[in-house]
Amino acid sequence: MAASLQTKYPLSPITNNVPRTHRPLPLHVRVTCSASTTTTTKPQPKLVVEKPFLNPPLSNDPTLQSTWTHRLWVTAGCTTLFASLAKSIVGGIGSHLWLEPALAGYAGYILADLGSGVYHWAIDNYGDESTPLVGTQIEAFQGHHKWPWTITRREFANNLHALARVITFTVLPLDLAFNDPVVHGFVSTFAFCIMFSQQFHAWAHGTKSKLPPLMVALQDMGVLVSRRQHLEHHRAPYNNNYCIVSGVWNKVLDESKVFEAWEMVLYFKFRVRPRSWSEPNSEWTEETDISNNQA
Amino acid sequence: MAASSTSFTFSSHSTLHSLPHRNILLTKTHYPVPTKSSESTFFGVRLSHSTPLPPLFPCSIRSSIFAKVNKGQAAPDFTLKDQNGKPVSLKKYKGKPVVVYFYPADETPGCTKQACAFRDSYEKFKKAGAEVIGISGDDSASHKAFASKYKLPYTLLSDEGNKVRKDWGVPGDLFGALPGRQTYVLDKNGVVQLIYNNQFQPEKHIDETLKFLKAA
Repeated sequence: MAASLQTKYPLSPITNNVPRTHRPLPLHVRVTCSASTTTTTKPQPKLVVEKPFLNPPLSNDPTLQSTWTHRLWVTAGCTTLFASLAKSIVGGIGSHLWLEPALAGYAGYILADLGSGVYHWAIDNYGDESTPLVGTQIEAFQGHHKWPWTITRREFANNLHALARVITFTVLPLDLAFNDPVVHGFVSTFAFCIMFSQQFHAWAHGTKSKLPPLMVALQDMGVLVSRRQHLEHHRAPYNNNYCIVSGVWNKVLDESKVFEAWEMVLYFKFRVRPRSWSEPNSEWTEETDISNNQA
Repeated sequence: MAASSTSFTFSSHSTLHSLPHRNILLTKTHYPVPTKSSESTFFGVRLSHSTPLPPLFPCSIRSSIFAKVNKGQAAPDFTLKDQNGKPVSLKKYKGKPVVVYFYPADETPGCTKQACAFRDSYEKFKKAGAEVIGISGDDSASHKAFASKYKLPYTLLSDEGNKVRKDWGVPGDLFGALPGRQTYVLDKNGVVQLIYNNQFQPEKHIDETLKFLKAA
């Protein structure tokens, strides 16, 4: 008889010293209890702790490369976006509207940054790889904190396909259900910014000398999240600068302590501690030595 | 007079009770004017916010009509267990000023900052002749671990069930979703001379109480 217990990142009570779980992608410990029984002797359980996988993916790792499935999802996502944008433009021309759809588009761009921050805060702090729907993303974000430079090695479709899938399933019904140019003005830009936020994120991890000048200019203007701002998110106490589209909401959210307030409320209501409350130990902090070698 | 804060935020509202009213005390929350411009960028255009901004959450004017402990009143006695499980009564501290600070919970970021700030300024409080007592709803074991981890030199009391918090009328925050963070300074006769409330700028409790003790 064998029972297998897999430790998770405990969302745990105050008395446990929960390590800061910016853990590497597959870093969980499997503890196996096995027992053999006979009619005359007591079972002798033994614990076998399997060593976790500790190495970062190499540059030529297939997990960083795009597959045709990835490309199909990105294509599907982009198609739904273009359809929404087309509906907004065509509908706007037909209704002699341009200001309202444009303003709606701008609102979509601004609110996408806010949405990216809220979502990023949530998956950075709560849940684990077993969480339904978003478990894989949570695990990926934990791995990202351990090896942040890896995102710059991911191929385009590999990086975006997960968001592209979400956008496809969300925007397609909206494309079919609505014709309003203002609605689509908002939807197209909001969804575009969300889908491409991972690309903006990757550029935020890039080095100035290696990025296209246009991207550097957009970062410096505040149109896209800046490298400096996002770097703060990867420094202790890892509880700020969550927005990754333009970063325009970061200062507001951080100074107003919104996330801290929500964390406190969730703690008092559900006794769930966010990961950012726990001090990082050396095992969870970014492997900067390796990052220097990889750069 | 309300304590000020340097940035626009719902969370840095603070109330400083110094009005002479005994039974009915209206507290006013001043939303702080930023002392420096906070900038944000909208599509490449930097905007400076130099006017007071509304809070993100409506923690607004709080009427303390039902506050049970007000400035000028003698603080009601209580007996609670400290971090070693020993019962401690407030009356034991009569004869010297006491800073009684209610905080939400051990091992939360704000409370840790506050506790460490009291720790770091503890000598100043002692020099002013004052004692410091922290109170939360956590049990003695939690207090012991918290005090030990951060080497807190003062007493933490366990207000299990939050009875004393309710008796003293410590207001909650975010529509009661959070236990409030409020500090009382009692004089050597046990009379409340200062009440300071600020949930999200915990270090300010130390600044305000020290300022008051030094001026007293």
